[in-house]
Amino acid sequence: MVRLGRSAAVAALAAAVLALGACGGNDGKSDAGGAAGGGSAEAKTLTLWHYETGNSAMGTAWAEAMKEFEASHPGVKVKFEEKGFEQIQKTAGMVLNSDEAPDIMEYNKGNATAGLLSKQGLLTDLTEEATKRGWDKLLSPSLQTTAKYDERGIMGSGKWFGVPNYGEYVMVYYNKDMFDKAGVKVPTTFDEFTAALDTFTKKGTTPIAMAGAEYPAQQLFYLLALNKANRAWIDSFELYKGKVDFHGPEFRYAAQTFSDWVKKGYIAKNSAGMKAEDMGVAFIGGKFPIMVSGSWWFGRMQEEIKDFKWGSFLWPGQFAPGSSGNIWVVPEKSKNKDLAYDFIDITMKKEVQNLLGNSGGIPVAADPAAITDAQNKELIENFNKLSTQDGLAFYPDWPAPGYYDVLVSGVQELINGDKKPEEVLDEIAQPYNDNLADIGN
Amino acid sequence: MTSDRQFGQPGRWAVLAALVLLAAVMLVPFAIVTLNAFKSPAEYSSGGPLSLPHGLYLDGIVAFWQRVDFGLKLWNSLLISGVVAVAAVLLSVLNAYALGIGRVRGRLWLLVLFLVANTLPQEALVYPLYYLAKQAGLYDSRLAVILIFTVIQGAFGTYLLSSVLGRFPRGILEAAELDGASRWRILWGIVVPISRPTLMVLLIFFFIWTWNEFFLPMVFLISNDNQTVPVALGVLQGEKMMDATMSSASALLGIVPAVAFFLIFQRTLTRGITVGAIK
Repeated sequence: MVRLGRSAAVAALAAAVLALGACGGNDGKSDAGGAAGGGSAEAKTLTLWHYETGNSAMGTAWAEAMKEFEASHPGVKVKFEEKGFEQIQKTAGMVLNSDEAPDIMEYNKGNATAGLLSKQGLLTDLTEEATKRGWDKLLSPSLQTTAKYDERGIMGSGKWFGVPNYGEYVMVYYNKDMFDKAGVKVPTTFDEFTAALDTFTKKGTTPIAMAGAEYPAQQLFYLLALNKANRAWIDSFELYKGKVDFHGPEFRYAAQTFSDWVKKGYIAKNSAGMKAEDMGVAFIGGKFPIMVSGSWWFGRMQEEIKDFKWGSFLWPGQFAPGSSGNIWVVPEKSKNKDLAYDFIDITMKKEVQNLLGNSGGIPVAADPAAITDAQNKELIENFNKLSTQDGLAFYPDWPAPGYYDVLVSGVQELINGDKKPEEVLDEIAQPYNDNLADIGN
Repeated sequence: MTSDRQFGQPGRWAVLAALVLLAAVMLVPFAIVTLNAFKSPAEYSSGGPLSLPHGLYLDGIVAFWQRVDFGLKLWNSLLISGVVAVAAVLLSVLNAYALGIGRVRGRLWLLVLFLVANTLPQEALVYPLYYLAKQAGLYDSRLAVILIFTVIQGAFGTYLLSSVLGRFPRGILEAAELDGASRWRILWGIVVPISRPTLMVLLIFFFIWTWNEFFLPMVFLISNDNQTVPVALGVLQGEKMMDATMSSASALLGIVPAVAFFLIFQRTLTRGITVGAIK
């Protein structure tokens, strides 16, 4: 026993020493390599980060853009690194403040993310490039909202700090087979929509797949408010251009209707604890006829629904949550700003945008005729329709930091029936107004 | 240890049954992860997480391996955890020799300090460490993570070893001193060999703890070439989307090395614990 122990310990020690030796050698090597790479990087490498999966619409289109970039810039190599969403979320401020900043990266739109970094001076002002290269003509006004930030870091006006390549919006996914079986037609008005919900409930099916623990519930809540709202109200709520009365007709209607829908059985009571993933899996598994959620599900639906026919339609109403997707930003410490601008320009070109559309994404500057797949075409046409009717209403959690969690717990209480709609409205009004005071509005 | 003593008491059976049940409960999450790692995404979506896979679907594991260059991540993790484990044990031994056997003045307060340092959440350390690393030119290098974790693990090791060495048999030390052994010689010739089982346990713990670290490596290892296994697993968690089957595949790949390491050294581990008990 003892002898065995000794030899094991010696082996471990030897291994450790080996590792230590290897570490020294390897560190030396990688340092040398890094230095050499850094030396030539000044002219020859464009470091690019994004966090979209390789086979997603954006991943596909951007891979093509990198190829085109290398073809049109002989001698320049694109050094692409795929990052995790969480890593970028948590460390962007630190990375961009160091010499390790990439030349160009994808980043989250919004006040708490891109807005904050722009305020800290970590992002390059792109206004001049946007006008010179015509990006301001390609993007509709509501898409430009998330590209511009003022000196307080609030989106909607000011300088350009990012360029979006794609759009996203919340829609209604439906199970065609279940609709046919129940004799329900695709509703075009809100009354027809509620009638359809009623039909399903009477047949003993809960119509709407829901997830109370994450974003889907608050987006449905917001949709209901939007049915009573106009653009001025949205600008007040999202961009602080006026006062929002949480007990006004919009939110009061939303809270009351949401609570009624739970009581009527349109939304299952046990959905309060569900996560978005559970909701999606339940819909893909054919357990619900309707799911109200965002275009980010689209590619997955196409790939994974095999057992039934499905489709999507616009929410019956003028507005729906939606906006540009995430944006390209150029860090202030980028060493190759001109190359970064060139790359953004390539991603806005027709070929790349068309590829994005044909891969199941929503391009912002594509040629509609070039989209071949019928389902993709429908998705993009619906987005364009929403965008033209000035219907992109952003997301309910945008106005204040941490507001996402406030809304999650508020709407959960509506599902559980723990609190009356009026009480929930008070609860979600407080953090919103606190934030207004914080930013000096 | 006769057979009738082993089987004669019903109490033993109850304990055994309880342990088996506990082990089963502990293993369920691993079983679910393994189950889903070998499923195709379509199977997962139509059948849910608990359904049995129809066949062995290895694409998830292969795709993940290639996507994040997993071999390189394994090497990084191995390098960082290995060096940290050895260096932190070394640091702990030197500290504990001074504090536990050397009996330096104010050692109690020093130990309290080490303990407090141990309880500091890593989130509180991030910004100071970030600025230090940037000043020293070590940001985005594996050396930065190695240094940080050597100190963090070393603090715990110092605390633990100091109390172990505080009860080191004085007689042996005095005998060695009479024979004219220097302090250095006493440390390496007597103290370290005798407490080797404890040191081995520390080594293994430090290795596994460092292996599992996520937050600080995520902050300090920016380039993909420097990242460790847990940071690479984070790539799969999207903003609104998660890929459950590929996450399972990656989790499986992430667990296997740590489990393998544990199995290789588990005899040392149990011996280290029982040696203390017998004494």
